[in-house]
Amino acid sequence: MQNPKKYQLIFLALTLLLIVCFFTNISLGSISIPNRAIIKTIFGTSDNVSWHHIIINYRLPKAFTAMIVGSGLGISGLMMQTLFRNPLAGPFVLGITSGASLGVAIVTMGASLFGGVLLGVLASKWTLVMAATLGSFLVLLTVLIVSTKVRDAMAILIIGLMFGSISAAVVNVLSYFSSAEELQQYFFWGFGSLGNLSWQELLILFVLYALGILLSLAAIKSLNSLLLGENYAKSLGLNIKKSRLLIITSTSLLAGTITAFAGPIAFIGLAIPHITRQVFSTSNHKILLPAVFLFGAIIMLICDSIAQLPTSDYTLPINAITSLIGAPVVIWLLVRKRKMMF
Amino acid sequence: MRFLILLSLSFLFFTSCKDEKKNHPSNPEIVSTAEKIKYAKGFSITNYKNYTEIIVTSPWPGSQDAFRYLLVDNDEDIPEFRESAVIIKRPITKIVAMSTTNIPALEYLNVEDRLVGFPSTKYISSEKTRALIDNGHIKDLNNDLEINMELFLELQPDLVIGFSVNGINKSLNQIEKFGYPVVLDGSWTEEHPLGRAEWIKFIGALFNKQDEANAIFESIETDYLEAKALALKIKEKPVVLSGSMFNDVWNVPGGKSYIAKYFEDANTNYIWKDNTSNGSIQLNFENVLNRARQAEFWIGAGSFQSLEDMKNSHKGYSYFDAFKNKNIYTYTKKIGPKGGLLYYELGPLRPDLILKDIINISHPHLLKDYENYFFKRLD
Repeated sequence: MQNPKKYQLIFLALTLLLIVCFFTNISLGSISIPNRAIIKTIFGTSDNVSWHHIIINYRLPKAFTAMIVGSGLGISGLMMQTLFRNPLAGPFVLGITSGASLGVAIVTMGASLFGGVLLGVLASKWTLVMAATLGSFLVLLTVLIVSTKVRDAMAILIIGLMFGSISAAVVNVLSYFSSAEELQQYFFWGFGSLGNLSWQELLILFVLYALGILLSLAAIKSLNSLLLGENYAKSLGLNIKKSRLLIITSTSLLAGTITAFAGPIAFIGLAIPHITRQVFSTSNHKILLPAVFLFGAIIMLICDSIAQLPTSDYTLPINAITSLIGAPVVIWLLVRKRKMMF
Repeated sequence: MRFLILLSLSFLFFTSCKDEKKNHPSNPEIVSTAEKIKYAKGFSITNYKNYTEIIVTSPWPGSQDAFRYLLVDNDEDIPEFRESAVIIKRPITKIVAMSTTNIPALEYLNVEDRLVGFPSTKYISSEKTRALIDNGHIKDLNNDLEINMELFLELQPDLVIGFSVNGINKSLNQIEKFGYPVVLDGSWTEEHPLGRAEWIKFIGALFNKQDEANAIFESIETDYLEAKALALKIKEKPVVLSGSMFNDVWNVPGGKSYIAKYFEDANTNYIWKDNTSNGSIQLNFENVLNRARQAEFWIGAGSFQSLEDMKNSHKGYSYFDAFKNKNIYTYTKKIGPKGGLLYYELGPLRPDLILKDIINISHPHLLKDYENYFFKRLD
């Protein structure tokens, strides 16, 4: 255990780093805008209309989305790893993404099967968000019902994986019968994207995310007890079923809404908790939870800045970057420390 | 249990965020003249005293929505009754287009220089526009599903001509959120070849060039109908096969598709003419071989460049008589500098050229001194 003073220093450094990353992120993009103009634009004293659009309506919401996505997925990944005592678990083990993907696959590729009737009713700017929400919500509801029935956390893990297999199979059938454009649409959703939320949508995302974060804070004590194993936690007087429900609900809220709005963002949920544990050398969730929050937000902002390929006309899909940057970092940390903190 | 209720509530909150579209009938007391649209079923143009109204009823197959666009030349002309309509202020000096099929229409109307941005400019083959891309006048906006928003916002176009395969398009939604008007081009849903070409009137109206658009369309129509009349005088109808395989699925134009319409107008006997699909149908190899092995001509065999290529991709292709007699044609004769097929770009606007090519293939020597424009014979 390190001393609390040192923790305070690391937290302070991370907070400063987050602020730096945030400003770096909004100052970089395809269009080069001088820093002075960015500050002017934010304070509303610039008269360049296209820069105003770029900064206020595109880069700022994108940066906030990145922070929400990184921190939310990091925290839900941490909770899943602790609940299932499995270092390979992530926010999507419950089948949430599979449910969301299935919803999106049905609206983007289902036209061939349902003859467009479905879309005539559905097509609007909310279609993809609604489809993803509905899909993940149905899977989540099933998982919640199951979690109150089964005794063993591992059973929930397996059930989540099974949902994944079922929806993957349905998606395959749908893809087989769909046109190139529909396939492309579905795949592009799978790349994830941070930059297509308006302020209004961002607000909805934030409200649900904040609810998920509050629930996760309420779960800190249960999470620390669960580290010792379920039986031991019971002997400490922990109500296992109630804690499990709390943790799963929080994770689902976070992972479900983030996936609905930004698509299935890869890797972050799995890797951030590991990076954090290695840096902080602790398994105490009182420390880990806020640390994962900061790390997640920082790394996602950095990934987005890279994905924008500053000053070039091209952008890369965010999912490619998260894994390309994230995986080597985790490998390097594990090799350097020679053992995994878990 | 309390959690479940909470969750259900938050979900309900979500599903209630759907925006309603209302369509009002136009006021009948206002004097108006409707533009005559002869073949296209997906749009209408009505000219009022101070503004023009375009209604697109078929932006994508099976669409239940109609989109109203009001074109005005002055702010004071914006009609009071404009609920759910998109207002487009003319003159339009800067546009972003999304489909290469818009490029020839812009060139024919001499407004290609208004194009300032396009996703994946590498697909554009038309010469005049290519030159504008090469000199940096037209910016590349990444691709149509993931538009580079920063570049787009810097361009500040007056209008975006987009399309949607099923009503869901992330990039277009985002563009609308920023307050840029988007019109949907539904030309690709038309079932008659001339119907697709007639959408030049839609583009013409946007640029206040309705007369030019009408004249261009009329000459294409005349050319098409003359060729068709000539072909119908021939007694024999050669049997025609079309399409090619992807993996082990053979994609064949359906009997009600616009490709089948060409085969009909060229006076040929298309094997699947009695099928009722207006898209493409997926068949297995045995089925196609059984029905089409003896077909005389094979027109539109994917984008193969030679008989050798075909045979290498699937040995089964060589079992067909059309293969043995070297009667296979693909639309790969004209390839743009960046590898785009001109057939896909110019074809929708020039059905007369496609029809004449097919007539020239299936009834050789009927058209005097005609050289195929899009189609080439594979060796």
